[in-house]
Amino acid sequence: MLRKVAAEGEKLPVEERRKFLKNGLVLAGGVLAGAGIGGRTDAAENGLPPNVPSWTRSLGPGVLSNPYGKPSRFESHIVRRNVPWLTADRIASVSFTPLAELDGIITPSSLVFERYHAGVPDIDPEQHRLMIHGMVGRPVILTLDDLRRMPATSMIRFLECPANGGMEWRGAQMDALQFTHGMLSCCEWTGVLLSTLLQEVGLQKDAAWVLAEGADGSHMSRSVPLEKAMDDALVVYAQNGEPLRPEQGYPLRLINPGWEGNTSVKWLRRLEVGDKAWYHREETSKYTDLLADGRARKFSFVQECNSVITFPCPEKPLREKGRYEIRGLAWSGKGKISRVDLSFDGGINWRPARLNGLVLSKALTRFSLEWDWDGGPALLQSRAVDETGYVQPTYEQLRSARGTSSIYHKNAIHTWRLHEDGKLTNVQIA
Amino acid sequence: MSRLLSTARISCTAMIFAVASYGCVGDDQTDESRATVAELNSPDIRPAGHYGYGLDASPEEIAGWDIDIRPDGVGLPEGSGTAEGGEMLYENQCASCHGSFGEGVGRYPVLSGGEGSLTEARPEKTVGSFWPYASTLWDYIHRAMPYTEPESLNDDEVYAITAYVLYLNDLVDYDFELTRHNLTGIEMPNRDGFYVDDRPDVNNELCMQNCKELGSVRITSEPEAAESDSDPADKAVVVPTLAGETVYQQACALCHAAGLADAPVPGNNEDWSERLTLGRNVMLENVLSGKGAMPPQGGLARFSDADVAAAVDFMLSQSRN
Ligand code: HEC
Ligand code: HEC
Repeated sequence: MLRKVAAEGEKLPVEERRKFLKNGLVLAGGVLAGAGIGGRTDAAENGLPPNVPSWTRSLGPGVLSNPYGKPSRFESHIVRRNVPWLTADRIASVSFTPLAELDGIITPSSLVFERYHAGVPDIDPEQHRLMIHGMVGRPVILTLDDLRRMPATSMIRFLECPANGGMEWRGAQMDALQFTHGMLSCCEWTGVLLSTLLQEVGLQKDAAWVLAEGADGSHMSRSVPLEKAMDDALVVYAQNGEPLRPEQGYPLRLINPGWEGNTSVKWLRRLEVGDKAWYHREETSKYTDLLADGRARKFSFVQECNSVITFPCPEKPLREKGRYEIRGLAWSGKGKISRVDLSFDGGINWRPARLNGLVLSKALTRFSLEWDWDGGPALLQSRAVDETGYVQPTYEQLRSARGTSSIYHKNAIHTWRLHEDGKLTNVQIA
Repeated sequence: MSRLLSTARISCTAMIFAVASYGCVGDDQTDESRATVAELNSPDIRPAGHYGYGLDASPEEIAGWDIDIRPDGVGLPEGSGTAEGGEMLYENQCASCHGSFGEGVGRYPVLSGGEGSLTEARPEKTVGSFWPYASTLWDYIHRAMPYTEPESLNDDEVYAITAYVLYLNDLVDYDFELTRHNLTGIEMPNRDGFYVDDRPDVNNELCMQNCKELGSVRITSEPEAAESDSDPADKAVVVPTLAGETVYQQACALCHAAGLADAPVPGNNEDWSERLTLGRNVMLENVLSGKGAMPPQGGLARFSDADVAAAVDFMLSQSRN
């Protein structure tokens, strides 16, 4: 066989022979068929059909080469990124999820956006404790083992920083989906319902609020109304089947489904029950929504219904005119997504999109619609509706209600401008 | 806070309650079995103690972690401090980031000024112009500042620095003595500037056809330099993974990147040329033991000497080119 292939090679012109030898032991017929036909010679070099690539003709590394696994080296561009000018340093800062690169509704743990105020603490789980005290019957200190002994609950829920897209209140600023919407992720969270813990310790009469506090240097603290604590708040030790990642609060965090991410305190060390809110820095100076009249909304917990087209987008342009499946994500902190409509003309006409796969309460929901691009300019928009009937608003509506200094809770209909060359840019329209 | 019950675990009601409420909620599952807030608030209901896991938290254990302060003064410890007494503390421990007058250095938060700016196009939200309660300031300084050494200030120091920040905002006099008893009496200018969330505040329609006039759509804003041939991935900064660089980012960059307190900036040869003659090991020793305004190990004791060495090597590698 070897000799036969070599003999075939001898018959080829010099240039073709170089390629032939470089490709090694391929069937001579394949090379001949590929030779000389425009782009097909590249195909031969790359081992595309009818040639066979090198990995198909050799052995790869064995089991345990990567005991905890990692993505293909060809996907190294899929990473969280930051916007250096947003914060003074990277310790009290934020990084964004590469939404354009993800499919389905689950965000891989490695790519969940980061937001901390004193860096990521390096917590030894053996030394970590959850203290529950205040207006309770029995103040306790629990270990992770104690928590893992209690009934476990898993739920798929989105997590979003209320400042997601906050840079866009005054106008389009960020030119990538990663930066316009990337403070958004969705995981399967596993832990103990906070209601189970509160039942366990018992509540005193007049208990109305729970202070959640982190074990990091910022001692992040938020007041959570007891209604939420008794509804669906979860004290979480696992995400997507694995222990929480350090960036996500290892070994323990709170998840307040559908609420602004900051309330889902990470590295949770303490829950104090009280009769009033604490008005700490993160619920006064920050995470209050300053309105045009100079007053501010406080305790604006819910992340209202929102959506964005994830394909195409600035990171994922169109190559040529023709048929495409337009895809995106919709979510609401108030429940399930009930419908999503798409517009290609900047909101003059709308067409209903399909909801794909799981449609879960307070989770990312996929939508799509096939569309024929004629090669002309277009203005792409998505508009989501949740099960309460709330329709995602326009920038105009949000600004006339709130002004432009709110920072938080910007859930306006987003526009991608599709240019004739297939590239997309972030624009705002009227 | 007084406890109704300290050790009582099970009463007859509690037993029934515990059994009745036992169960868990899965995705979107209804859960009538769960107790409501009203039920739990009922004086008849005692701790269920269904599982009984964990240890009782003793008052001493709680005291070590229970650091929260409320606007009504609950949580404030004994102690006091004057603005005058806070001046030097602030100058030494806060001014490098927040500025001597609270004006903020670089992108670090501004702590003073901004009065009357909340309705302006660029409002300046500071302690004086925006914060509703002085208790929040005491709580936050004690819990999270100074940035590199949270919980390092004693109670009197927190009172003094809090008084000084209030003074920088013209809210108290220079000789004002802040105590546990008068803190709640400090009236912050924007105290009544907040109201509880009343959203939804907008109401979009579910229009499908001819929702705007044809030809009326116009682009109102685009990112500056938004050219369709720019690749955002090219502009983005990839998070580094080098160990030395990681330590540098976590422990050292906050002074060295901006040259705070004249910390030498990696890559700036002028800052380094003289120091390089000391040699890497001497400089490493200086970092481990502290030098000038730099605290030992850059202020983060949790890093090992090897981590700090890796960070020094990273900084030097930047500075030799
Ligand atoms: C090394 C820099 C640094 C030093 C030193 C420092 N801070 Fe800060 N400070 C910060 C950063 C960064 C933040 C914002 C943290 C965040 O985003 O969570 C902050 C936030 C604050 C805030 C809240 C500002 C707001 O508008 O919400 C106050 C108040 C404050 N610091 C007071 C102090 C005081 C008092 C000291 C001295 C005891 C001090 N800081 C020392 C960096 C510093
Ligand atoms: C609080 C601010 C601060 C932090 C944090 C900090 N430095 Fe420094 N560093 C300084 C200052 C200021 C100097 C200049 C000291 C002098 O020459 O008096 C300095 C000097 C140095 C030098 C030169 C030493 C010499 O002998 O001239 C090195 C190397 C260095 N720092 C490394 C580090 C490393 C590594 C870290 C993190 C582990 C770090 N620094 C954290 C402020 C800081």
